[in-house]
Amino acid sequence: MDMAKYRQVFIEESTEHLAEMSSALLKLEKNLADGRAIDLVFRMAHSIKGMAASLEYDSITQVSHGLEDRMQEVRRAGRVADSEELGVLFRGLECLESMVAAVRATGKVPPPEPALAAVLANRLDEPPPEVASRALEATAVAQGAAKKKALTPIL
Amino acid sequence: MARILVADDASFMRQMIREIVESEGFEVCGEASDGVEAVDEFKRLQPDVVTMDIVMPRKSGIDAVRGIIALDPGACVVMCSALGQEALVTEAIQAGAKDFIVKPFKPDAVIETIKKVLEKDV
Repeated sequence: MDMAKYRQVFIEESTEHLAEMSSALLKLEKNLADGRAIDLVFRMAHSIKGMAASLEYDSITQVSHGLEDRMQEVRRAGRVADSEELGVLFRGLECLESMVAAVRATGKVPPPEPALAAVLANRLDEPPPEVASRALEATAVAQGAAKKKALTPIL
Repeated sequence: MARILVADDASFMRQMIREIVESEGFEVCGEASDGVEAVDEFKRLQPDVVTMDIVMPRKSGIDAVRGIIALDPGACVVMCSALGQEALVTEAIQAGAKDFIVKPFKPDAVIETIKKVLEKDV
């Protein structure tokens, strides 16, 4: 298989999905129980996970899987719990945006974000809050770096 | 030559399945990007096999299986699932799907599964 072709399709389709996810999260900001927005974020995370797994982009698979798991819980509950949980969802979106931007800019997969994936998935074995907090801060720094990198032309 | 309908909301996955099945000489007679379209295209094209994603907009893959089986109880539908969707796969099989393949797709497994459901259908 021509994996370069699929990498390009992944970048295009993931970028569209992330834009849709962003719009949906903004809707959830106004209404935490917006069912259509909840379903859309779940589907987009699921779709990105499938594509990333096919390309063996493990770090993207891990974060999108975490986001999908969280959204599965949100679907069961019928609503995003509160603004704190919404913030976690936005963190997931921003992390995926930076990771896809890094693939676009460098052709390489960014390093994994296991702590963020665990926080997203709301797993019982998630790291203690201070570790999770450091992971989120590190993610924010990495996102800034990736965005800068994405704007730098490849020489 | 078996005719296959590929239903998946991700163009990425549709292209990948198309490439895998065409490499074996099967014909992709149509594509659908949601569950409603999958049922409509099944009705229109009467394919030998449908590959059906589970998570799709408008109508889920499982509901689309129900719609297709209502039209043709002998229809050959193969579910495309991801790890962690075991319960949904079971539900799809109960709804009438013949088998399933797991993402990320392994070309040999996809071909083997399609051949298996076609043989059973003879």
